[in-house]
Amino acid sequence: MSRAVKTYQRGEIPGVIAINSSLCKGCDACKRHCPTGAIQGMFGAVHSIDVDRCLNCAQCLINCPFGAPYETSDAVDGVIAKLKDRSFTVAGIIAPAVRVAIGEDFGMPVGSLVTGKLYGAMKKAGFEILDNNFTADLTIMEEGSEFIQRARHAVFGEQGEHGAEIGPLPQFTSCCPAWVRFVETQYPALIPNLSSAKSPQQMAGAVAKTYGTKVWGKEANKIYTVGIMPCTAKKWEASRPEFKSAYEYHKHKGNTGTGTPYLDVDVVLTTRDLSRLFKKLNINLATEKEADGGTLLSEYTGAGTIFGNTGGVMEAALRTAYAVLTGEELKPLEFKKVRGLKGVKSAAVTLKDSKYNKEVTVQVAVVHGLAENIAPVVDEVLAGRSPYHFIEVMNCPGGCINGGGQPIQGGGSSWLGAVLPWFAWK
Amino acid sequence: MENNEYQYTESPFNVSRRQFITIGGIVVALLALPVVWVKYLATSRNDYILARTKGLYRDDEKAKIRVSHANPAVAQYYKDFGGKPLGGLSEELLHTKYINRTKGLS
Repeated sequence: MSRAVKTYQRGEIPGVIAINSSLCKGCDACKRHCPTGAIQGMFGAVHSIDVDRCLNCAQCLINCPFGAPYETSDAVDGVIAKLKDRSFTVAGIIAPAVRVAIGEDFGMPVGSLVTGKLYGAMKKAGFEILDNNFTADLTIMEEGSEFIQRARHAVFGEQGEHGAEIGPLPQFTSCCPAWVRFVETQYPALIPNLSSAKSPQQMAGAVAKTYGTKVWGKEANKIYTVGIMPCTAKKWEASRPEFKSAYEYHKHKGNTGTGTPYLDVDVVLTTRDLSRLFKKLNINLATEKEADGGTLLSEYTGAGTIFGNTGGVMEAALRTAYAVLTGEELKPLEFKKVRGLKGVKSAAVTLKDSKYNKEVTVQVAVVHGLAENIAPVVDEVLAGRSPYHFIEVMNCPGGCINGGGQPIQGGGSSWLGAVLPWFAWK
Repeated sequence: MENNEYQYTESPFNVSRRQFITIGGIVVALLALPVVWVKYLATSRNDYILARTKGLYRDDEKAKIRVSHANPAVAQYYKDFGGKPLGGLSEELLHTKYINRTKGLS
């Protein structure tokens, strides 16, 4: 194998982001947004990306003043072909952050919440709706239960059922594929700390092709799952070869319709890709009628939708963990300490574990913007003196709403990072 | 006389004290403009992130149900199909393992 694909498994997209050498001016703006220093090339020379260091996050892409970085995989035409093929049910897995950003591509104000119009436009295009917020709620049930299990194991020595192995604290969230790749390529010692729960996108794919066969009345290999994500790293995540659990499930059961192995999530479109798809099909989202999701796979709660903000996964997990541990709902539900754009946010919750009738204090932290903020938190954990029990990490500054697959809104301010130190007195 | 060729008369350019202060003031103002502009850019460059953040919190506030464990669709999923969180089928479909990717480097 060539040097370029050392950190990629067979079958994975070996690097989602590349730089167009004829557009790159060598201005170094991208380097200040890259979390891992994967961009090579001197100031003034054409830059290139070291795919082994790259997390596929595309922060360089949305911040480049010249539009030089581009995505190496484009599935728009493939998805349109599947939408036209009536023998397939095409399930669109809509991430939370898409509904507050896609309006921008159709002339609506920044931050417009367009869930109903998005459902309407997608149904017009031929999608079935599988709201990723539904599987975000599922993620909270799994990841929250896992956290309670780890915490009770650490504090009370509780054992897993059937002697199952229980991971250490602190537990890291595993929703962000760029963060997972960061751990896998740079801090493998932290792998046991990552929650074993799949990301909402991968849960959605697995659920669509198992439980979804009952909901839509289709064979699993006639369900085509399309992740619609604010994220380019999700394209890489979906291509991970181990994510064929629906296929394995059907094979194990001896069900018909297995055939050739298929991925849980067939293909991923970014928010920008979906805008392009709508425009190709002459659908104007801004004037589209509002619609509802249709099936139970699009029912979601407020906790699921805030996953797209930094601190959202933590807030949603705390709401559920608090209720499960104490038997009461958290009041008020808003957990303001984990909101906002501070690089590392932390909070403590004291609650009574009703099962053991003892008070425990849960220390949580929220990190976003890996480039600037992750090193001290990770170093503390590796040195064994981290005060935290549960840590949420999102690669992009602000969380998924500012992901590398979102409409580009930089405002041409990417050079500010170099200039601001001159105005340090402010 | 030879020296006359090199005689030099100072140009009669006179600036009064008032005019000097005026010109000085304009120059300082022009120099300050980029500072104001950069400061404006620095304070407003996260506005779009905050606007999208607000959009999602608004979605949360208007939701009838705001906690994951009360989602009836989730409850139905576990009842009809999934069993329970961390149960056998959950481990099979909803959990995964990670890979040490540093081995390929060296």
